[in-house]
Amino acid sequence: MGIITEIQRFSLNDGPGIRTTVFLKGCDMRCAWCHNPETCESAPQVMLHPDKCIGCGACVQFDEERMRKGLPPARESLAPTDATECFSGALSVVGKDMTAAEVFEEIVQDAAYYETSGGGVTISGGEAMTQPEFVRDILALCRDRGISGAVETNAAYPFERLVEVRGLLDLVMVDIKIYNNNMHRKWTGVGNERILENVRRLSELNLPVIIRTPVIPGVNDAADEIAAISRFIADNVPNLTYYELLNFNPLGDSKYRALDLDNPFAHARPLPDSDIARLADIARLADIPVRVG
Amino acid sequence: MRDRVNQLPPGVPMDYRARMAILRERKLEDTQDKLHELGPVNSDDHGTIAPPKDFAEKLKRTIYSNHPNGSWYGYDGYSENFYRLMDAYPAFIDPCDAFPCREMVYLGSFRPARGFLPEASYEHLKPLQEKYDIVHGIGAQQHFGGDYTIGLTLGWGGLLDKIEAYRPRNPGHDDFYDAEVKTINGIQQWMRHAIAAIDEALARETHPALIDNLHQMRGCTEHLLTGAPRTLREACNWICWFKIASRTYDGDGAGGQLDELLRPYYEADLAAGLITRDEAIFYIACLLLCDPHYYQVGGLTADGQDMVTYFSYMVLEAADWLDSSCNITVRVHEGMDRAFLKKSVEYLFKNKNGWPRFSGDDALTEGFMRRGYSKELAVQRVAVGCHWMSLPGLEYTLNDCVKTNNARIFEVALNEMRSDVQPQSVERLWEIFTRHTRACVDATAEGIRFHLRHQWKNSPELPLNLISHGPIEKGLDVSGGGAEYYNMCIDGTGIATVSDSFAALEQRIEKEGRLTWEKMYETLDSDFVGPDGEYIRLMLAGSNRYGGGGTPADHWAERISKHFTECVLAQDGDGLKFIPGWFSWSNTIPMGKAVGATPNGRKAHAPINHGANPHPGFRRDGALTAMSNSICAIQPGYGNTAPIQLELDPGMARGDEAVMKIVNYIRAIMKQGATLLNINIIDEDQILEADKDPSLYPDLVVRVTGFTAYFCMLTKDFRQLVVERILKAS
Repeated sequence: MGIITEIQRFSLNDGPGIRTTVFLKGCDMRCAWCHNPETCESAPQVMLHPDKCIGCGACVQFDEERMRKGLPPARESLAPTDATECFSGALSVVGKDMTAAEVFEEIVQDAAYYETSGGGVTISGGEAMTQPEFVRDILALCRDRGISGAVETNAAYPFERLVEVRGLLDLVMVDIKIYNNNMHRKWTGVGNERILENVRRLSELNLPVIIRTPVIPGVNDAADEIAAISRFIADNVPNLTYYELLNFNPLGDSKYRALDLDNPFAHARPLPDSDIARLADIARLADIPVRVG
Repeated sequence: MRDRVNQLPPGVPMDYRARMAILRERKLEDTQDKLHELGPVNSDDHGTIAPPKDFAEKLKRTIYSNHPNGSWYGYDGYSENFYRLMDAYPAFIDPCDAFPCREMVYLGSFRPARGFLPEASYEHLKPLQEKYDIVHGIGAQQHFGGDYTIGLTLGWGGLLDKIEAYRPRNPGHDDFYDAEVKTINGIQQWMRHAIAAIDEALARETHPALIDNLHQMRGCTEHLLTGAPRTLREACNWICWFKIASRTYDGDGAGGQLDELLRPYYEADLAAGLITRDEAIFYIACLLLCDPHYYQVGGLTADGQDMVTYFSYMVLEAADWLDSSCNITVRVHEGMDRAFLKKSVEYLFKNKNGWPRFSGDDALTEGFMRRGYSKELAVQRVAVGCHWMSLPGLEYTLNDCVKTNNARIFEVALNEMRSDVQPQSVERLWEIFTRHTRACVDATAEGIRFHLRHQWKNSPELPLNLISHGPIEKGLDVSGGGAEYYNMCIDGTGIATVSDSFAALEQRIEKEGRLTWEKMYETLDSDFVGPDGEYIRLMLAGSNRYGGGGTPADHWAERISKHFTECVLAQDGDGLKFIPGWFSWSNTIPMGKAVGATPNGRKAHAPINHGANPHPGFRRDGALTAMSNSICAIQPGYGNTAPIQLELDPGMARGDEAVMKIVNYIRAIMKQGATLLNINIIDEDQILEADKDPSLYPDLVVRVTGFTAYFCMLTKDFRQLVVERILKAS
């Protein structure tokens, strides 16, 4: 049993071919720019979209005054059970307990697409490897059915976790978000020593590796930052398939509001395409294959 | 009708690409003229141009009536009026174009009374047709495919000889043969006027390259007056003549297997040193400009060979040169040239004009064989209509003309159960629904039989008879015994509306107990108005849905489709076979208007679902794979389609790898039994802007249902249909 945020089928940006991406809930980092803030906590959370509220009162039986006024429920009064009575989309619970078999049942429906496209399943997060047994069980079911498996991870945990699922994987995708350790700690809440050490050891897995960097305005969009990561990859990742730069994704803002959380990057915008292209050119100077996602 | 002669100074470069660019710009001007003069139209682009302002009025004065109601019917009425129209048809000449003339009007629009032949009344069928809101197809024309090889082999002269050869063998059928002769004579008369118009253009044109083109155009037309085509240019031109005439006659838009039809002419021209590759592409592009008929490329031969050739690529390249509304279908099968499929997808994303479409060769062939036909025949059945296939020249079908409104059947069943003394239950509702489905399909088939008995006396298929195998040989109209096969199409509609309704009732009333039957009826009666109305509507709409992937609603859809299929197949008899499909065309709007609120949370008179697609919002992630799987699972499986309609973001195929993902998506759905895939490449911002002021987007082409059209030419209702689908998809 594990907890998931969402299962997204026909996923085209999380590895080769057509994939199903399973977003697990819970993360051991707190990246300030995270566009999936609902995946951070490992417990279910209530999301509130007041604009969708029709004032039916089904969720606030004990607050008759608000109901009478057609107001959305007060956040502090909400429990996940309230969302089960809400059909307008104003209230929803993010986080669902599922067994590996239940997740697999969804994954396997797209087997034909994986087969024609060389795709498969990608376990993502949150941080996938915060639920290592769950990941292993899902991947094992996929492997039995011949469905290719990949994990998208921050690698900020003991390397043995990856070794344990190595036989069930065909691809590993790892983020190197920031090269400078202090900056990494400042923006994500954890240092990057273990991450870089784990990346150095990825060759032990004997698997293709994709390294990705989310390019965040004002954080890691400087040429020397990308150059440093690129050189590190060139020196330490012999199994590299490619290095991918992902432009800042601003779409998380409504989720921050729905979770009643501050979004430090509420006003940030994606970098212009030309800036990302320039950074990609800088990364290519390290003589590694580079893509812009 | 604009004057296109001598508009360009002699120094303007006039290679084939340049000429096509000019023609494309002129097509946009023509589209604006049509919009200004004729208003919006909700159908294929047809390549028409606006006629001279006084033409329609003049023609109306010459109409021949053979009935006391002032209208015309049958062989005599149709052939005479067609002749008069063709004799008066303005001959449009564009010196940049390879071919003269365009379609301008539709003969049927001049009929003083448009109803069916009064002597053949179907009043007795109307009560059930109205009860179930059946689109009965009685009096519908065309919607089957001719065999162009007949016309290309014989030419007009050869067709006249064929008529005279068969006339003595079928005594008593002179009215039929006379009408066919008059039809050809009318076309020839129009061609003679075109020659005169070319001469007039030659007298005024000063650009040397265009003068040369006009001379060739004249020679071509003169030869084709009686002769069969000898070159690629003549073959394309003959198709243009036939198509304009046939479109004008009754809207016929069925093309054929274009690559294989034309390739022999190109190869002969090449061998004789008569043509260049660019020249050939230009001729094909001009053919597509003349009218975006439904053509097919690629496919499978009976012995399992892929039909894609270098010439199939040239057809796509020609469509790319034109970069406009187009209805080319690429046949997809497992063994096909993957590079060709990839090229097709690249054009789809490059031009964003809704072409090509993709048909599932394997499923369609196997399905048609299940109706008792050989593989040799099944592989010849080409995609030549909105959602349909046809054996060129061999079958009469009424494809896309006959539809049951299954949402209305559901409503009738629900009302019956409500007034019943027995306990209310979903299973009881299913029993009643299946009984009414049977009754509705029986009534629908009865309408088709009526049509087949009387249509030849009402409006015969005079041009299409000429390129069909049988009518001339037997002296019978194709609708009245002339065709080799009668495979009558009955399409169901509203499958998502109905399956979602069944699933919602099952989930909310029977499984969860959140709602009572009484409360549900009361809420539907009020159209979800009232204190709890919107809450209940959202509850019902939020139930499990068709398209979700393995949901109870998906299982309902499969059950509904299986039963509907059985009902349709059971209509076979008297030399007729019936083939089911799921397709609404744009009837989603009127069919929705005929149905009150439904338990899937759909408000009264709102559109039913489009074709076989789920209602928008079917799944949180909108996964195309889940939706596609659901549509694959409800295919009736007998050679007609239940299409998948997609709206994709232009960014989805950025780069080679992304294109291959779409290619492989297409391969996967076809392997799972998909029959037809229509794709719009369009983004949310663009469609919203275009909807605000369509005239600012004169070249925006969208695939409305099976057909593509300029967005600006659609009425508000139709624009709304497309806009909502795209917004929900994004």
